[in-house]
Amino acid sequence: MDHQLSTPTRRQLLRFGGAGLAAAALGGLTACGQTGTAPVPPPSPGGDPWRRFAGTTINFISENTAPTAAIAANLQPFRDLTGIDINIVTLDLQALVQRVALDLAGGQSQYDVVYADPYQVLAPYAAGFADLREFAADESYPPLEGGFEDFIPTQLQATGMFGASDAIYALPYDCPTMIWQYRLDIFEKYGDQMEADLGFDPTPSGDRTWEEYFRIAEWINENVDEIPYGTGHQAKQHDALMCDFSNVLWSYGGEYFADGERIGLRGTDEPGKCLLDSAEAIEAAEFYRRLVSIAHPGSLGWDWDGVGNAMAAGEIAMAPNWHEFAATYEAALPGLVGYAPLPRGSVGTANHFGGTGIGISAMSSGARRGAAWLFVNWATSPATQLSNLKSSAGGGTPTRQSVYAMPEVQAATTRPSEMPNMLTEDAVSIAWEEGRIGLRPKIPMWNECDTALFTELSRMLAGQKTARDAMEDATSRIDGIVARGWVA
Amino acid sequence: MSADQTAGQHGPHGGRAATESAGGGAGQVGPGSPGVGPTPVAPPAGQHDRRGSGRITFTGWMMAPGVALLGLLSLIPLVMLIMMSFSRVRLLGGLQLEFVGLENWARAFGDVELWKSWGLTLGYFAATLGLELMLGIAIAVVLNRLTRGRGLLLPLILLPMFVAPSIVGLLGRYLLDPTFGLYAQALQGLGVEQDVLGNPVSAFVAVTLMDVWEWTPLIALITLAGLSGVNPSVLEAASIDGADEWKKFWNIVLPSIKPILLVAILIRSMDAVRYFDIISVTTNGGPADATKIVPVRLYEAAFRFFDLGYAAVIGIMMLVLTIMIARLFVGLLSEKETH
Repeated sequence: MDHQLSTPTRRQLLRFGGAGLAAAALGGLTACGQTGTAPVPPPSPGGDPWRRFAGTTINFISENTAPTAAIAANLQPFRDLTGIDINIVTLDLQALVQRVALDLAGGQSQYDVVYADPYQVLAPYAAGFADLREFAADESYPPLEGGFEDFIPTQLQATGMFGASDAIYALPYDCPTMIWQYRLDIFEKYGDQMEADLGFDPTPSGDRTWEEYFRIAEWINENVDEIPYGTGHQAKQHDALMCDFSNVLWSYGGEYFADGERIGLRGTDEPGKCLLDSAEAIEAAEFYRRLVSIAHPGSLGWDWDGVGNAMAAGEIAMAPNWHEFAATYEAALPGLVGYAPLPRGSVGTANHFGGTGIGISAMSSGARRGAAWLFVNWATSPATQLSNLKSSAGGGTPTRQSVYAMPEVQAATTRPSEMPNMLTEDAVSIAWEEGRIGLRPKIPMWNECDTALFTELSRMLAGQKTARDAMEDATSRIDGIVARGWVA
Repeated sequence: MSADQTAGQHGPHGGRAATESAGGGAGQVGPGSPGVGPTPVAPPAGQHDRRGSGRITFTGWMMAPGVALLGLLSLIPLVMLIMMSFSRVRLLGGLQLEFVGLENWARAFGDVELWKSWGLTLGYFAATLGLELMLGIAIAVVLNRLTRGRGLLLPLILLPMFVAPSIVGLLGRYLLDPTFGLYAQALQGLGVEQDVLGNPVSAFVAVTLMDVWEWTPLIALITLAGLSGVNPSVLEAASIDGADEWKKFWNIVLPSIKPILLVAILIRSMDAVRYFDIISVTTNGGPADATKIVPVRLYEAAFRFFDLGYAAVIGIMMLVLTIMIARLFVGLLSEKETH
């Protein structure tokens, strides 16, 4: 009898098992990530501050961008300087956002240095990053050359800061900006004919209007045999579609939210009501729909890489795209691609800025935390940015004013140039001017708002919705997402 | 009388049942009652069913470590998933659940976009399964009749299913790329300028066909195995009776391979509900959400928006659908076996 009483029944076992599993699940959830950060070990007196953390290994997670490719190919100087080893994980942005979010949730800080996309990483997880002022102010570290002031101010704010806080969570690391890229040879050959037919000087510049851009593209479609289409766009249902459309939206006077400039530059948790259903935004959407309708048909399936490939393959004569594609074009079509700021709309002009910073996980601790700062300092230093410009493995463009002032960099802004991205310097320096730089909203829930917008735009381009319906539906969806708020 | 007292009174019988089960061979233990001895004879009216007392038998204890491991691997995530579906999930500083009641569920049931995705999922499910079944059976029948070259053809036909789905997606994307894609150039040669993956209808057709290309060989392989079990003398008898090829296929071959076909459909249908890789690589749900089936939406909610509570609801919905499909086909199979 005793024996039988001590033997559990299946039901009892399941009951116990269920309770145990629930407890284990709860325990697992609450235990996850409850770790503290160890202090950074103090420096040894008289020691080289760069070699303070020699022997430490840190991890850097980055989007697979040109500057990271250049740095990954040239890590030896950093190893020699610091004795620190660094593992670099490069992923596409979507995968990076996932990894970073889960890493922050795990609390183990597998990644010490993080490529902090301002919209998908920094805004939602700003609290998960260390304030870099803490390191810059600490005299036991090597100084930050030129200080924070050397970084282009709009870029420092857009990529490194969030909300009302003065904390600097990331240092500007790359600065892709959308500009007008066009085939010089086509404009040289047909420029006069175009001017005669169209009644204006077609030479690409910030003085052209989007309507003129449309007419140039249409003219090339009809009159140029060397190249199939006048324009191409990144109009795939993807983040790229929002980037492409935003240039038009802003230049027609449309905004995502009221006080868009501040929200783009500093960011906020509470952006207020979405303004994409305004008359200006609807006009912009209608123009964009018309523009894509005469673009290369492949546009509906292209992101920025698709547009870059099409341009390099001679499928399109011009396109708005990120300026860092210059290196690709100079390799594929040497001397044949020109660069200009994007056209104006009915209200003004805007060139979408897509720069990103690198920051340090707040959970990184001990020697790894200090080593992470040494890497961030080194990777964004003028010498490294100059070296990246010359790299055959990648490139990117500098984010520091002092680098642009260097004579050899200035000399590279004209052909022949060993730093192809610098050929865009005239265009991007205008694009970064106040009132011309286009900054999407830096809000934690941007990823979902972005998806709502590019999905509605995609429906518009597929002919399923009018511009008005698409913008009104996007507004309604974004308002719903913002109303739900964000928990990180 | 308490349950324990009842159990105690029936103790000796329970013990005997355990002995019978342990000695009777594992082959008699049904999948629904692991380790519990089956009662071959129904208990007399008025007496408790011995299975009701459910004492864990020797076999049960032997299976316990495996079952416990299975529990760890599948039940804890399930419990967490259910808990998350009633919560708002915080990530920073460790996972935290903030109970929100039925909020996520109400959102899911009222989300028009999600229901559109369900519609697409069912359309995709029917299209892939239907095409794969028709083509798979046709290929298997042809292969079965081949006397020469079968050894060479079979591996060639099976090749697509050994390719990872994401690679199939990449292949499809590159072949259809309007700048350098081989298929795109062939279509342009025929006057089709439109980007296949840029149009809602053609994009849906394209991702469906990519899946059909990859998994039709599986159906063909399983069907071929079934065809080898069809009794040739029955077919010969039917031929002597004057039955034509179609009648023989419809009335003899198809009923003979029905059970094995059900297994193939079960495997593919459970996969079809989870279809993700190819769409993720090619269209990522676009254009105009034309290929955003539920798994893509689930991924988006969970790993792009980190709306994990809402994603948990979608996950549970998918799980319920998968279980329903599995039960339907297992039921059909059992029915067939009983028959």
